[in-house]
Amino acid sequence: MRSSWPAVAMLLALALTACAGILGIRRTDPSHPFEHRAHVAKGINCVECHAGVERAGDTGPLHLPSDADCRKCHSKPHTEESCRGCHGAEYIREGAELAKEHLRFDHGKHNAAVHGDCVRCHSAVAEARPETLLPKMAVCFGCHEHKDQWALRDCDGCHVDLAAEDTPPASHLVHDSDWMREHGVRAASDRDLCSSCHTERACAACHGVGTVATLPWKMAFDEVSLSGLHTAGFRSRHAEEARADPGLCNTCHSENSCIDCHTASHVSPEGTTRSPHPIGWLSTGRGGGEHGIQARIDPVSCAGCHGGAGEQLCVGCHRVGGPGGDPHGPGFRSTKNKTHDTPCLLCHGTGP
Amino acid sequence: MITVSACLWVSRSEGQPLRLRADAIADTQSETQSPTGLVVLQGQDKLRPWLDVEGLVWAGAKPGLTGDVLVLALHLREPHGYSELRVGRFVVATGAIFPVQIDGAEAIGRTPGGSTLEVFGGAPVVPRFGPRAYDWIVGTRASQHLATKITVGVSYVQRREDGEISNEELGADFAAAPAHWLDLAAKGAYDLTSPGIADGRLSAATRVDAFRIELFASEQSPGRLLPATSLFSVLGDFPSEMIGGTVRWWAAPRLDVLASGAGQLVGGLLGMNAWIRSTLRLDDRGSGSLGVEARRVDVTSARWTGFKAIAAQPLGGGFRFSSEIEIAVPDQPNGRGVAWPWGLMALGWRSSTGWEVAAAVEAASTPEYRYEANALARLSRSLELR
Repeated sequence: MRSSWPAVAMLLALALTACAGILGIRRTDPSHPFEHRAHVAKGINCVECHAGVERAGDTGPLHLPSDADCRKCHSKPHTEESCRGCHGAEYIREGAELAKEHLRFDHGKHNAAVHGDCVRCHSAVAEARPETLLPKMAVCFGCHEHKDQWALRDCDGCHVDLAAEDTPPASHLVHDSDWMREHGVRAASDRDLCSSCHTERACAACHGVGTVATLPWKMAFDEVSLSGLHTAGFRSRHAEEARADPGLCNTCHSENSCIDCHTASHVSPEGTTRSPHPIGWLSTGRGGGEHGIQARIDPVSCAGCHGGAGEQLCVGCHRVGGPGGDPHGPGFRSTKNKTHDTPCLLCHGTGP
Repeated sequence: MITVSACLWVSRSEGQPLRLRADAIADTQSETQSPTGLVVLQGQDKLRPWLDVEGLVWAGAKPGLTGDVLVLALHLREPHGYSELRVGRFVVATGAIFPVQIDGAEAIGRTPGGSTLEVFGGAPVVPRFGPRAYDWIVGTRASQHLATKITVGVSYVQRREDGEISNEELGADFAAAPAHWLDLAAKGAYDLTSPGIADGRLSAATRVDAFRIELFASEQSPGRLLPATSLFSVLGDFPSEMIGGTVRWWAAPRLDVLASGAGQLVGGLLGMNAWIRSTLRLDDRGSGSLGVEARRVDVTSARWTGFKAIAAQPLGGGFRFSSEIEIAVPDQPNGRGVAWPWGLMALGWRSSTGWEVAAAVEAASTPEYRYEANALARLSRSLELR
C-alpha cells in the first residue's frame, strides 16, 4: 500500500496557505509596522525624522514624522496617499500616545545620559518586523534598578495612574493560560503588587461573602469568553463542578450559599419530606456506608443543608454511645476541649 | 459611594479623575438569586497620591432581593510607600490567608530593604445587612523581598465565632522569578485547631518561544476549610489533591491553543479532568474572535463531557454581536436530562460618551427545566469627573 502522508502534508500546506490571512501569517491590511530597520541600516539618524525628540520633555507632542518629512528624502512617492496609511500601523501609534499619556518620561534627560544612542533603549529597531519600539519595563530596570521603589510598591514616579493605565504586564506575572486557577497562588506573595493595578472590587466581586452580585460573567453577558469559572451554562453543571473539586466553592462562597440559593429558587427539599439522597444512603456499611464516604469527601456540601441546628440530625446517631459509632476518620486531631468547646460538646458533653 | 461623593467638594486640581459607573441590569428569570434586577454603582478616585477612595454598591430591584455593599474603603498611603492604611469594607487576601471580606482596618509597613509587615483586624462581613454576631478576625503577615526576584512570607490568622476559635492558621508563601522566562510560586496554610495542611498550592511556569508551560499541584482539606465550630469539621483528613499541567501555544499570530490536564485524588479515589480550547482573533486587535473548547471531567461521581463555542464581532457604529453555545453531557443523567444545552445571543452598543446598552436572549435545557428561555438587558453609564 502506498503511503498517503505526502498527500496529507500537501493538503495541510494548502489549507495553511488558504488560511494564512485569517491566521495573521499573511497580512491582509496594507498597513504594517514602520520599516525602522531599513532606515537605520542606511545610516539615517533617528532625529532626522523624529526632529526635536532629543529635547522633548514629559509633555508635548509625540514627534512623529509628517508626510512632508518623508518627502524630504522620498521625493518621488509611489502614491499620493498619506505615507502613514501603510507605513506604520495605527494601533502602534495609539500605543505610543497612550504611553505618553500614562508615563512620566523625559526624552531630553535620557538622550543626554545615553549620548544620543536611542538604540540603547529602543533595541527592537534592529528586528525585522517589530510590533512596537516601546521599551519593555525590564529595559528601564537595566539602568534604574528602583530597588527601593519596587520594595515599597512606589510606582507613581514613572506611572501616572496604573489602575487607569489598564496595561497587563508584558514581562512578569503575565496573566495568561489558566489565570483563573493560577491567580491565587501567584497573588499570595505579591498581593500589594496586584493592588498597584487592581482596585478593591477586583477581589470583592468574587470573594465578597454572599455578595456575588457583580460577577463579570453576568454583568457583561455580551462579552463572551472561554475563560472564567461561571461561564455559559454553569447553572446546569454547577453540581458536577462542585463535586469534582470539593472545597473549591468555599473559596468564595460560604457553606450556606447552597441552601440559600436552592431555597430562593424553590429547588431545595425544604418544606417537603422527600430526601434528596439515594436509597441506601444511611446504610451502616464499613465507614458509614455511602453517607459516611461522601461526608468525608465533601463535608462542605453536608454543612450546606445540615449545618447549624441541622447538626442534631447527626448527633442523634453519632453521639458518644450512640448507634452511629465514632464519626472521626483517620487523621483527625483537634486541640479543642471536647467537653467544653463547640462542636465537640454536642456529642461528648455530659448534657444538662 | 457616600464616601466617594463626599470627596467631590474637595478641590480636584491635583487629583486623578473621579471614575463613576452605574449599571442597571434586568432579566426575565423570576426564581433566582442571580445578580440581576439590580442597580450597581461603583466609584473610584485617587484624589491625592496618598488618598484613594472606592465604593461598590448594589441595590436589588426585585422583590426579595436586598442591597449590599461590596466595597466601601478609604486607602491612605504614605507618598513613598513606607506605610499604608485601609479602613472600611474590603477583602483581605494576603499570603496563605484565606480570602475574607471584613469591616475593619489593615495597616502595612515597609522598609527600603524589602521587609513588609501587615496587620489586619475587624468583623467578618454579614451579607445583606443581616444581624451581627460580633465575631471577629485578626491576622498578620511578615514578608521579605530578596533582590526583587524572590519573596517569602509567613502569616497567621485567627477567627472567632461567639467567642470560640473557628479558624486558626499558620501560613507560608513563596514567589520567585529567577529569570525572565521562569515564574515560581507556592503557598501553604496549616490548621492549628485540627492540626494538618488546610490548603497548599504550587505553580511553576516557563515560557519558551511560542509556548508557555505551567506545572501545578494543590492539596486542600475540605474539613479544615470549614469553621472549626462546625460538626462537619471533625470527620477526619480526606484531602483533595491535584497535579497537572497547562500548555499555551501561540500557533499563529491570531491563533492560540491552550490545553490543560490534571490527575485528581479525591477521598482516595483517582480521577482526572482535561480540557483544550482554541481562540482565533478575527483582526490584529482581537476585537472579533472565534473560540472552541472541549472538556472532560471524571472525578468520583462527577463525570461529564462538554463542548463550547463562542463568537464575537464588531458590527460598526459602536455595535457588537456576540454568541455563545455550550452542551454538557453527564455520564449519569439520573433523571436530569441526557444533555444540558445552553445558548446566548447578545447585541451591545457603546457610545463614545460613556453609555453602553446590551441585550441578550439565552435558552437552555437544564436539570430542573426541560426548556427555559430568558431575556437579559443592561444599561451602563461610566464617566470621569475632573
